[in-house]
Amino acid sequence: MTPLATALVGPARLPDRGGVFLLALALLLHAGVAAAAAPAQLEFEPPALGTYELQRIMRAADGRVLDTAGRTHGLSRFTGGKVTLLSFIYSSCADPGGCPYAYMVFHQLQTRLERNPRLAGLVRLVSLSFDPVRDTPEVLALYAGDHARAGRPVEWAFLTTGTVKDLLPILDGFGQDVFLDIDPASGEHLGTYSHVLKVFLIDRERTVREIYTTTYLMPEMVYNDIVTLLLEAGHKLE
Amino acid sequence: MIKNVTRFSLNHLAIAVTIAAALGVATLPAPTRADETSCSPFTPLIMGQEEFVYVWTLGVEGVGDGSDKLVTVDVNPKSKTYGKVIASLSVGGRNEVHHVGLSDDRRYLWGGGLDSSKIFIFDIHSDPAKPKLAQVIDDFVEKSGGIVGPHTFYAVPGRMIITGLSNDRDHGGATAHVIYNNQGKHVKTVPIPTTEIGGVKGDGYNYDVAINPMKNAMISTGFTGWNNYMMDLGKLVKDGEAMKRFGNTSVMWDYKAMKPIKIFNTPGSPLEARWSWKSGDNWAVTTAALTSKIWVFKQDGKGEWQAREVGTIGDPAKIPLPVDISITKDGKGLWINTFMDGTTRYWDFSDPMKPSEVYTKKIGSQVNMVSQSYDGKRIYFTSSLLANWDKKGAEDEQYLKMYHWDGKELKEGFSIDFYKEKLGRAHHMKFQVRDMSKLRPLHTANEAGDGIRVAFGETAAQEAR
Repeated sequence: MTPLATALVGPARLPDRGGVFLLALALLLHAGVAAAAAPAQLEFEPPALGTYELQRIMRAADGRVLDTAGRTHGLSRFTGGKVTLLSFIYSSCADPGGCPYAYMVFHQLQTRLERNPRLAGLVRLVSLSFDPVRDTPEVLALYAGDHARAGRPVEWAFLTTGTVKDLLPILDGFGQDVFLDIDPASGEHLGTYSHVLKVFLIDRERTVREIYTTTYLMPEMVYNDIVTLLLEAGHKLE
Repeated sequence: MIKNVTRFSLNHLAIAVTIAAALGVATLPAPTRADETSCSPFTPLIMGQEEFVYVWTLGVEGVGDGSDKLVTVDVNPKSKTYGKVIASLSVGGRNEVHHVGLSDDRRYLWGGGLDSSKIFIFDIHSDPAKPKLAQVIDDFVEKSGGIVGPHTFYAVPGRMIITGLSNDRDHGGATAHVIYNNQGKHVKTVPIPTTEIGGVKGDGYNYDVAINPMKNAMISTGFTGWNNYMMDLGKLVKDGEAMKRFGNTSVMWDYKAMKPIKIFNTPGSPLEARWSWKSGDNWAVTTAALTSKIWVFKQDGKGEWQAREVGTIGDPAKIPLPVDISITKDGKGLWINTFMDGTTRYWDFSDPMKPSEVYTKKIGSQVNMVSQSYDGKRIYFTSSLLANWDKKGAEDEQYLKMYHWDGKELKEGFSIDFYKEKLGRAHHMKFQVRDMSKLRPLHTANEAGDGIRVAFGETAAQEAR
């Protein structure tokens, strides 16, 4: 098993619900193996680091969240002070263009950013669940695995909410659509959700500076945007 | 502010993707990029049957209440009111309304007035059969720094790119892109270049914009300023000086940086811009209204964007005035409407550098906009160009017409007379459905695969080091 695959088996430990996610990741990994043989490339030359300005789109929404230890915080605790990349996920998501993909991009970014000691403590990743009923702090702690270990140079926070009531204003504030998947025969919730993946890049002052959907979530571009925001804030990265 | 409506929907139905979807990664289908006419690739698309068509309609004095309005037409073949107007929402006054655009979540429809510079934002998700006016932006000129005439509304995540057509200094054609966020707040104004880039001097004019995310490329075109588009067409064509004041350039932009990278000479007012979404394609197309020329923008072997004149529409000497265009989902066909002869023309774009006209049909005395369903089987046409440019008297037909297209012939499905219905001048159209939970943006399925491969390729390479 590759180091990457080893890093990803955390979800398999989730009691009776990690299997689908793991299957998705395994299949993604399969796709990755093929890619490694013929590496895919961006179809364009991205603008050079620090040569462009990311638009100030809106203020990051706030709300009440729970960390993996079950402690209550304001979401603003996780959106200010550092350049933050935030996405909404749920741990049993198996949509290949959704949560597993975001998980992979975040994993890659954490790995890449941690290679540069000058970036230590400057960047934060946040995965916020929109399934508060099943994604309890304990479940998310398993889902997070080593990615959320305290003291890592690039923090990755896995958050959930105590109730749907706490969640709704956060979804509204960010503009993240989520639809329950319903069995048309029984009318019962199938346990899955439909959503268009959105990832939010937030500056240190809690302003959303870019929003990536699956259409435009390219790891190289995200990395460049993070570094561009750090350069804008006066950090010297070389 | 747009009132927030919960985005966590208990009422919308969707079938779980789960394992079947996951399996899809391992068996990614042949790329099926498609186009619902001119929607932004960031907006979820209707890949099945559209249920409603919204028609942004100009008010006409003495016709109904005389006000501009958003007209809703039921186009669900299974509905009892199929082909009928089921709602009409007046916005008050006449603004020279023109184009509309869907937000990136397809919850809202933005429409502009070229004269008043007002922007109307409609809620089209709470009850898609009966849109509600959610917000009116009436300080666009002030907030944008003097830009007049909000035209194209092109959604990008969390924002709307709005092309201005004019300015408040001289009401000429020098203008800008103006970016608003989804809450209706101004974000940024980006002037159209007037300097020389790539050996061509920009004229600062603007009209349409279209983005290809996979190329990080955005193309913009140029029309004319308020002085001209508000002038009577008969008077305008006799005014030699005024006729010189039309856009003659198109601009390719770095979309991420919002910086122009090359300007092209495309004389005679290039209007609508469309990208081919066929996998592997790297070209966009526009048509020039006054010269009747078709232009294709394509990357050369070195990756540099080049513009090529690839065809002539009708007899330019007669100024057929090509207006709206609509590209098929596979980039192999292009509908081109010519306003003056009321004719739609289907061009075979199998080879975009050598397209040819293969079919024509007269739709009415005048025809402007054309929109096609995702599968290209239903083609909708409307009639109005501009209040002062539409034909006069009996030739001033105002309609919405739907045709079935079998690849060989257009057959009329239904027709609505917008004067008989006391509505006004029918202009731009957009589609909607009741259940948006299944809609996905263009590229998602394919690019997710591509993106995943990029991610894994890079990660595998990193971890191998």
